[in-house]
Amino acid sequence: MRHNKAGLLTRSIGLAAVGVLALSACSGGGTPEKAPEKETGTPTESAAPQEPVNISYMHRLPDGDGMTKISELADQWNKENPNIQVTATKFDGASAEMLKKLETDINANVGTCLAQLGYAEVPEMFAKGLAVDVSEFADQYKSNFEGTSELMRVGDAVVGLPQDTGPLVYYYNKAEFEALGLTVPTTTDEFIEQAKKSAEAGKYIVAFQPDEVPNWLSGQAAAAGSSWYNPVNDEWVVTVTDEGSERAAAFWQELLDSKATAVHERWGESFGKALNDGEVIGTIGAAWEAPLLADNMAGTANEGQWAVAQLPDFGAGALTGPDGGSGVAVLKGCEFPEQAMEFNNWLNTQVDALATQGLVVATSVGVPSTPEAISAFYGGQDVLAELGEANKRLSPNFSYMPYFSTIHDPMKKAASAAADGTGKVAEIFTAAQEQSIKSLKDAGLPVAE
Amino acid sequence: MATQQLPPSGAKTPAKLVATRGRAEAKEARSGRLFVAPFLIMFTVVFLIPMIVAIRQSFFTKKAAGGGLFGGGEAVDVFVGLENYAAVVTDTRFWAGIGRVVGYAAFQIPVMILMALALALVLDSFLTRHVTIYRLGFFLPYAVPGIVAAMVWMYMYTPEISPIVKGLSALGLDVNFMGENMILLSMANMTTWTFTGYNMLIFLAALQAIPHDLYEAARLDGATGFQVTTKIKVPMVRGAALLTVLLSIIGTIQLFNEPTVMATVNPWMGNDYTPMMMAYNTMLGQISPGGDGPASAISIVMALIAGGLAVVYALLQRKKD
Repeated sequence: MRHNKAGLLTRSIGLAAVGVLALSACSGGGTPEKAPEKETGTPTESAAPQEPVNISYMHRLPDGDGMTKISELADQWNKENPNIQVTATKFDGASAEMLKKLETDINANVGTCLAQLGYAEVPEMFAKGLAVDVSEFADQYKSNFEGTSELMRVGDAVVGLPQDTGPLVYYYNKAEFEALGLTVPTTTDEFIEQAKKSAEAGKYIVAFQPDEVPNWLSGQAAAAGSSWYNPVNDEWVVTVTDEGSERAAAFWQELLDSKATAVHERWGESFGKALNDGEVIGTIGAAWEAPLLADNMAGTANEGQWAVAQLPDFGAGALTGPDGGSGVAVLKGCEFPEQAMEFNNWLNTQVDALATQGLVVATSVGVPSTPEAISAFYGGQDVLAELGEANKRLSPNFSYMPYFSTIHDPMKKAASAAADGTGKVAEIFTAAQEQSIKSLKDAGLPVAE
Repeated sequence: MATQQLPPSGAKTPAKLVATRGRAEAKEARSGRLFVAPFLIMFTVVFLIPMIVAIRQSFFTKKAAGGGLFGGGEAVDVFVGLENYAAVVTDTRFWAGIGRVVGYAAFQIPVMILMALALALVLDSFLTRHVTIYRLGFFLPYAVPGIVAAMVWMYMYTPEISPIVKGLSALGLDVNFMGENMILLSMANMTTWTFTGYNMLIFLAALQAIPHDLYEAARLDGATGFQVTTKIKVPMVRGAALLTVLLSIIGTIQLFNEPTVMATVNPWMGNDYTPMMMAYNTMLGQISPGGDGPASAISIVMALIAGGLAVVYALLQRKKD
């Protein structure tokens, strides 16, 4: 549920809560920790403290009904590890608000030790000096996170351990596809062909989602082979409008021009309604969409009809891109990073518990069994195994620049224009390119033009 | 003739009197300070200090410090003088936001104030019984938290689920409340719904403070009910009108809840649809990497504009009188 995935209601309530948060931030709300005093002992001494150490941890996982609550996991850990006591706090609100709270708390010396950060937010939090390098404690856990440990890497630093991933996959209504004589597309050409066929029958096998483009479309560009932010000679070389992006743009432009795609805001009411009414019978979405879609369509004729497939080939082979996902990072001011990482590793390898939160776990120690409710919605499919396969296909070339969140707004505006025909899809990437360079410059980071 | 009167026998001598009065005054001052203290403390904590902090912050910007691609994992607040202010006043997005707000205010405030005045006049007239019920009813929308009201209205505007849109469409009227040409009007409707009752209360209080002898005198002179209203009541609530308009200007310039909620389903509106949204999203790091400094600069420029408008309006009003 990484970035902004809390849904409209929670998001708006989060907004309302901002004033309260601002106050609680001032008064030292959140989880108070001892004021960070410099350790006088050597690192080996602090490794085996006599008194139990206290680790605070803030997350924004859903903690819904029927899920294993994060605080329950913390209780379990606390029982088993009397020397390392963890306090878990759930943050209700949008990710950007949580980042601000973390920043304010850290500056006031009352920050938490561990916090959930989206992968697109990690470079930013590191550049701001809020997430710290813990590579000396992280290396020993690397084998538990094969292929995903890089997600929490920033240059030479490692700031924590990954928790879940959001590879893009394709969700579709199997029964509708059979009824309309459609096949599940494996390439973008096939996709366009099937989309046109389906549109003739008044149904759409995909929806363009302007409010979701920043991570959704960048993920598709990644699947098409893009690499937007490249360190060359210690400078950022920004290539948002590269070949991969062009391929992704051409794909959507064709779908929009031929009216073969529906257009819906992902987080408005209309998308859910279109799904329920059977107007939209397929969607390109991140792995974390699996439980959300099931939830959106609970109790309708759609139940048991849907299925998950790999993202079609966007022109770069069996590759997919990231759309969200997050890890648990160690933050500045954390007194006991080593112990924090010990808990971090344990937490992120609790595969079954994390799966109940709707997460596609990043750890390689085991594949969780698909929760029954999810499997029932997807016609008995082993959904998590399919999503695990998508994990393996994640593009290794795509990474985010610091301050990636500043390009969201220009991308969304351009996407809205593309959706209503007043602009082109390619302009979404042009807007992202311009804002990327501007933001890096404004932040005082080296950028090549 | 002796100008000085002697104190009557048995009364305190002047010296004693001064001393007693001094003690009483000191005691009074002490309890006075005690009563004012909670206000002063809260005023300092939630108003004065944040304001000073914001002004200080507005001269700083976060910049990478450690060198390298990620600034060495270090960012410091660098003093940039008036750079943040220069960035605000030269930003076309900021002025576009101001333009929207001013257009919005020019339409919404007169409509709302006139409606509030009309409602207050009706309630004040002897025609209406059960004033309390109506007063409460009109005021009720104001009791709904702004963000909740905005969300309720958003559902009513969403074409796919709105009963209003469906109803109008059944009458052959296709209205898109979320359209780019409509959205300011849709939001004006939200604000009017929320604040009309509030402004009405101010008018009502002013109306009820008018001495009823005036009505009686007017009636004896043969004035009709309409004349009483236009010649006595309306002129007498001019002070209240000034207050409501000033409050509305200050409130409207901070337009935030309504567009923020609407923007969640209309991404074309963007993070900077109104200046206050721009300030908030800049603070969250969604618009520029600079963070608090640029955000504070936007807020302070907005405060100056709101203050300026209020002063201009008050001066114009005084001139007219």
